[in-house]
Amino acid sequence: MNVFKKEMKANIKSLIIWCCAQVFIIFAGMMKYQGFADSQVDVNALFAAFPEEIMVVFGIGSVDITKVAGFYSVFFLYFMLLAAVHAVMFGAVAVSKEERDHCADFVYTKPVRRFQVIWPKLLAGLINILIFNIVTFCASVFFIAQHNDGNGLIDKVSLTMLALFILQLFFLALGSMFGAVLKNTKRATAAASGLVMGFFILSVAVDLYDKLDFLAIFTPFKYFEGATLMINDQLSFNSAAILLVVSLVFFVLTFVAFNRRDLST
Amino acid sequence: MNVIEINQLTKYYGKHRGIENVSFSVEEGEIFGFIGPNGAGKSTTIRALLSLIHPTSGSATIFGKDCIKYGSEIRRDIGYLPSEVFYYEHMKVKEVLNYSASFYDNVDTSRIASLAEVMNLDLNKRIDDLSYGNKKKVGIIQGLLHEPRLIILDEPTGGLDPLMQQTFFELIRAENKKGATVLFSSHILSEVQKLCGRVAIIKDGTIVRVENIRDMQKHNYKKFTLDYKGVMDVQHFNLEGVTNLTVNENSLHFLFKGDINRMVERLQGQYLLNLLVEEPSLEEIFMHYYQKEEKEAQP
Repeated sequence: MNVFKKEMKANIKSLIIWCCAQVFIIFAGMMKYQGFADSQVDVNALFAAFPEEIMVVFGIGSVDITKVAGFYSVFFLYFMLLAAVHAVMFGAVAVSKEERDHCADFVYTKPVRRFQVIWPKLLAGLINILIFNIVTFCASVFFIAQHNDGNGLIDKVSLTMLALFILQLFFLALGSMFGAVLKNTKRATAAASGLVMGFFILSVAVDLYDKLDFLAIFTPFKYFEGATLMINDQLSFNSAAILLVVSLVFFVLTFVAFNRRDLST
Repeated sequence: MNVIEINQLTKYYGKHRGIENVSFSVEEGEIFGFIGPNGAGKSTTIRALLSLIHPTSGSATIFGKDCIKYGSEIRRDIGYLPSEVFYYEHMKVKEVLNYSASFYDNVDTSRIASLAEVMNLDLNKRIDDLSYGNKKKVGIIQGLLHEPRLIILDEPTGGLDPLMQQTFFELIRAENKKGATVLFSSHILSEVQKLCGRVAIIKDGTIVRVENIRDMQKHNYKKFTLDYKGVMDVQHFNLEGVTNLTVNENSLHFLFKGDINRMVERLQGQYLLNLLVEEPSLEEIFMHYYQKEEKEAQP
């Protein structure tokens, strides 16, 4: 309990900043929607004139972005990116920061087993990503409602947030595994953020080149599609199952690797 | 009963040697010195005892229990002061100490205030505002707070001024009188001599020997430096017990072992600019005592 409390306290500031950024992105994004809706321009026709590569990178595929659900579904890519970076960093730092701050000799010489320190940290991580998720949900429903005659599309957004949470969990697990396996925090965060970037680039490549479709399984960013969630109200069970199982494996690896670790001063 | 028993403990970091076949034991109720130059393997041994690192081979028990297998259980009764003290920088001293206390059952938290008073430490300061010596005090208090049966001190006096060192030694002696066993690691011979009954000497990762401090004091070397003007008869000082006599411009250096009064006699009537009598460093002792002995032992 003491470790959990301490971890929550240590992360509260950064969580607030992350949430504010997220709320701002949703707010600003929906403002743009208002802009589209107000102008009499045929936005779909306008975007059709853009090169496909650009549209893919910005996550604007084939959805009808003049409808609020379609427009919002484009956000999912940004949510995934932001949430992934947040969760992966949390995991990597939480597990390895005692060694970075030279406090390992303090905590790990207390009468606790190593997993008794690690699991409250991961629990704190879970609560942090959950709060981030809930804030995203509330901000989404609130701002969608403002541009959709008071209808916040709660059902659709809930489903999207569920998908987002599964991804957050995956990235938290991935980050914590890096924290436990790699030599120090610096390497863990570098590897984690590099991998997030790699996943993103891969997902763009898959969107651009049909030939690369088989690679989609290697990037979590292709496990859920904003449009499927927001428009077809569908969450892929297979994707969710794979991500959850892999997350579990990463968490187990975190504990095993950390237990074997020689802690540095 | 032996509180600590170390048996052929070896730790390699990859190919790099940490310690090799370290064996010694510490009896209940004693203050045991663990001495060796920097990098000899003192911290490695201690960190293996605390299961912060996993030994490559060999084993160690504390209170009769394997220290890796029963680590968390054993650590209930261990107080540890690391050589490098860093704590959560954004916390107040009080918060760190309460956090530390929260890991133990039945801690008398009033000891925080009383120990802080003895050590003259402000509990309301933030850790990152503290000097190195004051951080060390935080370390000492968190190590002693839960009245451990075994106190492990890794180079505890660095950063403490001489007065505070004295206070600290008194604290350790008091805990020892109450029944705590102490493992005291240091690279400074004189402080180990002040406090400890027995010492293990470690060098290059292996234990050179374990001996009584009294026996060690027979090899009580003093390092002399004499500054003089003009000419001095070097041979005048070349009496029995003097080694490593060197002349360097207008100063004379040597190590002396034996009756100090004989040296004082020799110094009488000499016109000196300055006289320095120092504790030789461990390295010098190793050079002039242990290595020589090794050579004599294997002619």
